[in-house]
Amino acid sequence: MKLASILAAGMLLLLSASGAVAQTDCKKLVPPSPWGPNDQTGATNRVTPAVTKAAAAEIQEGKVVPMSYPLVDGVPLFGTRFTKTILTATTLAPGASFGENELTYMEDTWLSQSHVGTHLDGMGHIGRKDCYFNQTPMGKFITQNNMTKLGLEHLKSFATRGVLIDVVKVLQQSGKFKGNSACKKPCVDKGTVLTSADLQAGLKMYNVTLREGDIVIIHTGWGDLFEQFPAQNATYNSGEPGIGKDAAKWLADQKVVAVGSDTWAVEVIPGEDPKEAFIVHNMLITDAGIHIIENVRTDLMAAEAARTNRATFFFNMTVPRAVGMTGNFVGIDGIR
Amino acid sequence: MAVSSAVPPARARTRRRAALVLALVAVLIVGSLGAGADERRYTIAFANLTEEPGATLGATGFTGREVRESFVLAARRLPVDLVFYDNRRDSRTALDNAGDAVRRRVDLFIEYFHEPGANEAVARAFREARIPVLAINYPVGDAPLYAADNVTAGRIGGEALAEFGARAWQAADVIGVVVGAVSNRHDGVPERVQGLVDGLRRRQPSTRIVSLDTQGNPATVATLIGKLLAAQPKAKLLVAALDDTTALAAKSALEAGGRLADAAIVGFGCDRSIHGGANDRKEIDPSNRGSIVLGSVAFYLDRYGYDVLPLALRVLRGERVPSRTMTAHKLITAANVFREYPPYDMQ
Repeated sequence: MKLASILAAGMLLLLSASGAVAQTDCKKLVPPSPWGPNDQTGATNRVTPAVTKAAAAEIQEGKVVPMSYPLVDGVPLFGTRFTKTILTATTLAPGASFGENELTYMEDTWLSQSHVGTHLDGMGHIGRKDCYFNQTPMGKFITQNNMTKLGLEHLKSFATRGVLIDVVKVLQQSGKFKGNSACKKPCVDKGTVLTSADLQAGLKMYNVTLREGDIVIIHTGWGDLFEQFPAQNATYNSGEPGIGKDAAKWLADQKVVAVGSDTWAVEVIPGEDPKEAFIVHNMLITDAGIHIIENVRTDLMAAEAARTNRATFFFNMTVPRAVGMTGNFVGIDGIR
Repeated sequence: MAVSSAVPPARARTRRRAALVLALVAVLIVGSLGAGADERRYTIAFANLTEEPGATLGATGFTGREVRESFVLAARRLPVDLVFYDNRRDSRTALDNAGDAVRRRVDLFIEYFHEPGANEAVARAFREARIPVLAINYPVGDAPLYAADNVTAGRIGGEALAEFGARAWQAADVIGVVVGAVSNRHDGVPERVQGLVDGLRRRQPSTRIVSLDTQGNPATVATLIGKLLAAQPKAKLLVAALDDTTALAAKSALEAGGRLADAAIVGFGCDRSIHGGANDRKEIDPSNRGSIVLGSVAFYLDRYGYDVLPLALRVLRGERVPSRTMTAHKLITAANVFREYPPYDMQ
């Protein structure tokens, strides 16, 4: 009996030990959040009342500059993603209106994946193995329908200062510009690695110093291909200019809230190391809790910055408090 | 302490100041040298075997354009300006290209050309011009050589098939089949076949091996495999296809003959015809783990630039490099294809 108990205890120990080995130790793969072990919010913690108040000073003329693309059939989508709307308009049928006032109504069903069009990558979007932001072992926090940690409902406000960096101008001025003939307006070619030096040159161009809590928007011109949908979808999707690893690290060190661009991944594609996959996503989202915003319309703000010699604006974007979601399409306005 | 107390205070101050000034000068000199080394950019010329559209290299499915593109991508974060030449598989052109690179005074020349006579002349020209050379796949004088390791690649493929056969068909009549441009005496094909045979026989030395020579025409695979299937109605086949196009053709032939269950296939090269991305699904894909195409041995011609340019920089910085650096071949399967070739495709 005693021997059997010892054997059983030994077996239990072995089983628990093997279980511990099989599970990824997220503390070794992902750094902790600077906002504590329970943080599910990430970099929007930086948008304090003081940050928002300071950003409000950017509103000087009341001019609103659209920074998101219309989400319609035919725009370029990543991989197998889809977005489709179905209009419900039954009350328009003869005799179907309501009451003497003949009220009619219409509603939609939106069958869509969340990471389409101009969209935000949330904290639960990208991980390293099963480890996500703030060392979260995500395998324990997913259901068939959503995540039970790191969902969009945990995000705070994005009401902060936006800073546009025009790398088209930077590369043109430094003589390093290489464009793509498919673009109608100047665009930096795919595969072009944007470095921290390029970003700093772009800031210097408009005499801007990044502040903690800023959102950085990078204008590469590649979005011109998005606008030509569907004609240039294949070219748009075939790669993109974007930030490399040193720029991602530099941006994380500046303690920004989000990095957006007029490209589908913000980072350079093909990447710097062919054996790494979307490494900048890991660096910004998984490791630093910094959001990525993709397919941002940047051309209008770039033109506005060039016209006024001012590249900062109030960043106006609301994100649905969609519980357990990894991201969502968004509307963005830059207010000046 | 004892020394300073023995020296008059004024002289000690003078010495300390002198030492400080010297240290400062040394720091400035070292700093400027370091900065100079960081800033130094090199002009490296790469003469490609051929960039003829559709022409494949090294008995794989890779094209010259893919090799060239790998240099462009790899150079992005290196202090390198590239000059490209197309040797067009022609000795005269290769010599002209080398002559032009000498006249340009490039810092280093990378030669990918197959004719030994021309390569000797190229080696002489650069030796006289004191410009270092790196060679790809074919020797150029005594220049460091970066090359595919066909023997090892063949053995990796052969062993993968042999292990599958031993696991799946212990008691069956198993035949090893080498199909492809078997009679090609160039491009490392004889070495690849030798490695394959060694690998296939490693577990079972008596394994019977037959060769089906397509003479480089994959359209003949169906007929060759069809005849073999008819002659061997009960045998299990371990098919080593010398390139990926042949591997896919062999699968089609086995499917047409109703013998998918009797065969396993390994290809060579691992080009984009056999593996795709997240959306561009191909034969080797994580969602296609049951395929009789076990995998393809990677030759990485699409990554030559990533391997060769760092070697070139080491040469230019005066470091010693091995006389031969071989491609690190690996069997790419449904289980590791996305790790080895991370997908970034959207369409």
